[in-house]
Amino acid sequence: MVGAGSVAAATMVGCSMPASPAAVAPPTTTFTDADILNFALNLEYLEAEFYLRAATGSGLQASDTTPGSASPYQTIGSVTVGSAAIVAGTTTAQAEILNEIAFEEENHVRFLRSALGSAAVPRPAIDLSFFGPLAVAAGITTAATGTGSFNPFSSFDYFLVGSFIFEDVGVTAYSGAAPLISAAGVASGYLTAAAGILAVEAYHAAYVRTSLTGRAITAGSATAYPYITAANQVAALRATLTVGNSAAPSTMGSVETALLLPTSTSSPSSIVACSPTNAVGFARSVNQVLHIVYGSPTVGVKSGGFFPNGVNSIFATTTA
Amino acid sequence: MIVKSRRKMLTLGGAALAGMMFGAPTKARAATAFTDNDILNFALNLEYLEANFYYQAAFGTTINVANAASTAAGAPLIALSATVGTAGNINVPAVGGSKVPFSTITVGSYAVETAVEEGKHVQLLMSALGPLAVAQPAINISASAGGAFPTLATAAGIPGGSGFSPYANDSAFLVGAYVFEDVGVTAYHGAASLLTSAANLSTAAGIMGVEAYHAGLVRTTINYLDPNLTGIGSYTNLISALRAKLALAGLLGTSPGTYDASPDDYGLANTSVSLAGGSNVTATAIVDAPASESIAFARNTTQVLNIVTGGGAVNGTTVVSPATGVFFPQGLNGLFK
Repeated sequence: MVGAGSVAAATMVGCSMPASPAAVAPPTTTFTDADILNFALNLEYLEAEFYLRAATGSGLQASDTTPGSASPYQTIGSVTVGSAAIVAGTTTAQAEILNEIAFEEENHVRFLRSALGSAAVPRPAIDLSFFGPLAVAAGITTAATGTGSFNPFSSFDYFLVGSFIFEDVGVTAYSGAAPLISAAGVASGYLTAAAGILAVEAYHAAYVRTSLTGRAITAGSATAYPYITAANQVAALRATLTVGNSAAPSTMGSVETALLLPTSTSSPSSIVACSPTNAVGFARSVNQVLHIVYGSPTVGVKSGGFFPNGVNSIFATTTA
Repeated sequence: MIVKSRRKMLTLGGAALAGMMFGAPTKARAATAFTDNDILNFALNLEYLEANFYYQAAFGTTINVANAASTAAGAPLIALSATVGTAGNINVPAVGGSKVPFSTITVGSYAVETAVEEGKHVQLLMSALGPLAVAQPAINISASAGGAFPTLATAAGIPGGSGFSPYANDSAFLVGAYVFEDVGVTAYHGAASLLTSAANLSTAAGIMGVEAYHAGLVRTTINYLDPNLTGIGSYTNLISALRAKLALAGLLGTSPGTYDASPDDYGLANTSVSLAGGSNVTATAIVDAPASESIAFARNTTQVLNIVTGGGAVNGTTVVSPATGVFFPQGLNGLFK
């Protein structure tokens, strides 16, 4: 399921980028605005389940997972909970931030469902135990389950790494999707909505990256704060999952920015994931997003990783 | 590869989306027709402002003068060479500002990173616009008496506002940064649906994302340093209230766009929310978005102008153009001013 390949060395800082990293190749199938919003909805279901459980121990209400009457997908997928539970050991301030993020992701699910109306897809099957195998593939741990396995709910620092898996991806997914919205969709406000959700995902990503960086600075070194290294290993894994696929090699290259640990007041941090050439945020194609959430670099894959039955989408199968 | 044009009419899947109830995107207030370049030039004015602020704070220089610190950080040296603009308001070096004596690695490193990124944004927009790029207008980022920052701080009601300098220390710098970042998000968000080329939209979306990262960084850090909101945390609420007031005035009595309900700016005050139907719990406001949908706000150009000029874009329900004041003493260059 997940490629067990070697972890790329942390050499992503300053990697050269194409001149226009923001443009992505569109999907090759014919699609509608509803298909775009539904693709985003699948990702929001995943994020909402993760953050709601991290904050409350429970996931989405049933009424927020049902299919629209016109959707070709009529089965609500179950959630494999794995170790998902209220994050252990948080301070009051940290718990309040978890509450905020969970609230916002739940709002995004509700917004997209409302916007899509009868076209809304139901929640697909979601596997929150995938964090374990993912961490092994990233080289963070050697055990996929049980003792020594990666559990993003076991502490606030582990939660930050777990969140890191999603947040930059969410930003890039919306960035890649925005230009695909039709002119009619733009007039109807879908583009403005998508841009507004993109911004919120970027606020979230900044929160996660700032927290990881700040806590590493306080600890003094990556040795003292291995979570920053773990996050960079996640980024490296994402890069290997999405680069050089055989059918149509990505023209994007790596769209990751490693987390730096600044050592003086005059050395830069790297809170923002963006092109080192022009500081424009990255965008990912539908395929690149799927490779990450399925945990597979393979073309022709239609399920896996966080989505054991695939996403409820016409884009469900990787084509590049 | 062929990029599908946004302008291609695609069917919306029958009646499935017929019930959509989105409001139309907010149109800019300019009476004349505008192009993508006019929008990008509006953004360039704002990027000139941000870049000069961060360069001063991080390096102690303006964007057009390299020094050892800016060079070491890889911050672009920007030649003030654009020619489009109002006579007397062309390529005027920014006034005011100085290097912050950072005491924490955290805040110092953020300033350096942000300065480099904003410099690259200026560079990108100037390059994309070529000979059509607007020149840098007169910019005031001064903390001296009567300067932009004390003026704004006083208007916001920040204690000791008349003496406020974002260059004084780490905390003050974060407050200064707070002034800009959420505004950048709302400006790009408001412009998104007005751009006609997919390439420009991709770029604008990418820059907006970065501004949101910056806003998230600043808000996260202020929240961390002042979680009880008794100091700089409380200032965010004052600044946001001022911006919301200026933005509301910028609507000139018309209805706001879909993502611009009043107030359209939240500081770091905690909120009370229900999660998945449960009892209410306390939540932070790291994200500047309304609780109704958690989608970031969008503003039109008059609203943004009114904020950055401290009320210079409106007089009652009448547009004032060119808008001047606070950060732009002689107004912006380009169509939207």
